Amino acid sequence: MSDDRFATVFPEGERAAFKAGDRVRIATRAPIGHYRVPTYLRGRAAVVEAVIEPAAVDNEAEGFGRDAGMKRHYYRVAVPMTEIWPDYAGSPRDGLYIEVFETWLEEAP
Amino acid sequence: MSGHDHDHNHPHAEVGGEGPPGYYDIMETAVRELLIERGLLSAAEIRRQIEVLDSRTPALGAKVVARAWVDPAFKARLLADGWAACGELGITSYDETAMIVLENTPQVHNLIVCTLCSCYPRPLLGLPPDWYKLKPYRARAVSEPRKVLAEFGTVIPDDVEIRVSDSTAFVRFLVLPQRPAGTEGLSEDELAALVTRDAMIGVVPATPIGGPVP
Amino acid sequence: MSDTRDFVRRLPNDIGGLAADRIDRVEHALQPWEKRCHALADVLDYHKIISTEAKRRGVEALGSEVIGKLSYYERWIVAFANILFQQQILTPVDLARKMAEVGARWETHA
Repeated sequence: MSDDRFATVFPEGERAAFKAGDRVRIATRAPIGHYRVPTYLRGRAAVVEAVIEPAAVDNEAEGFGRDAGMKRHYYRVAVPMTEIWPDYAGSPRDGLYIEVFETWLEEAP
Repeated sequence: MSGHDHDHNHPHAEVGGEGPPGYYDIMETAVRELLIERGLLSAAEIRRQIEVLDSRTPALGAKVVARAWVDPAFKARLLADGWAACGELGITSYDETAMIVLENTPQVHNLIVCTLCSCYPRPLLGLPPDWYKLKPYRARAVSEPRKVLAEFGTVIPDDVEIRVSDSTAFVRFLVLPQRPAGTEGLSEDELAALVTRDAMIGVVPATPIGGPVP
Repeated sequence: MSDTRDFVRRLPNDIGGLAADRIDRVEHALQPWEKRCHALADVLDYHKIISTEAKRRGVEALGSEVIGKLSYYERWIVAFANILFQQQILTPVDLARKMAEVGARWETHA
């Protein structure tokens, strides 16, 4: 039985914001300097396959030397090839799988 | 045209001969010696890491695959936590990566690539081949995997789903190829001999019985 | 064409999906210095002097022309030098003097 007096609030980033099966969209964003989300995936709809443990430092910041502090999760997401390449030649079930940092994922309706 | 269209598509240079060290060879020695002089790392650490690198070859991955073929409980543990299961065979990660093992089945074919650089399961397979690091494979594996596979002689039927995993973060991938037909009587070592590096990248199947010796 | 945004927004190594040649299954055994360079990279990462991610960023920062012309480990060692300068662990003059010393060693032996 839950007891609201002891409801625990977790710090930002400690708990994964998405779970397997969630429909998401990879942000349409164009950072400069360093990123690890390839251009070909920007703005694509995806489904979360798995939460990658443990939470980790954002690799965009890590590229400039940050190696500790605030962490969030990476997610393995699946994107249909036909979602990425409109004239994709192959089975419509073919897919692209990739690990994306939490700040790049948005809830899809 | 910019460098986008002209990537460095050939590996450099033959194995070092008797000539003077090249510019970048000298630069490597200079950087390393300066860091050692400043006490930031030691020559022993570098030597040790060269031994680590030399000890990691596709034979390790092949051993893992063969064990998974003969031991379903091990396979289940391998698929659940790659490095933990490799640890049972005395193979450890040295680079803080996670390992996801991707199982090929009659319905699903997996292929691994790193479009942004050259992520690869080095602790298990050693260093990647040059073609894995060059533009043609990195650029095309994600957009036309069936054509790329065909260039390796691998034709995947249309009713088989292709899953391309693009490594970008701290996860590395190992493809668990399908066990070839007619191998029921083989020992684990004989099975391991059928498992090539390229089969564990996913560009070819495991070597069939009577096929080319890896 | 005055729009230069993609020169800064698309990193040189971000090549997934671009048109490219047929796969040529090339491989080569690493030269001794290339293997030392790889070991150096790993040890720098162990100490978090230069993490794997910082190395990637350092290579991208070389720009597409340099990336296109240098080989894999040539890019790494130049990136390491630049990062060590930025971190104020080494200075350009430190490296230039040491490289002259290392080069002279071979000449005296020859």
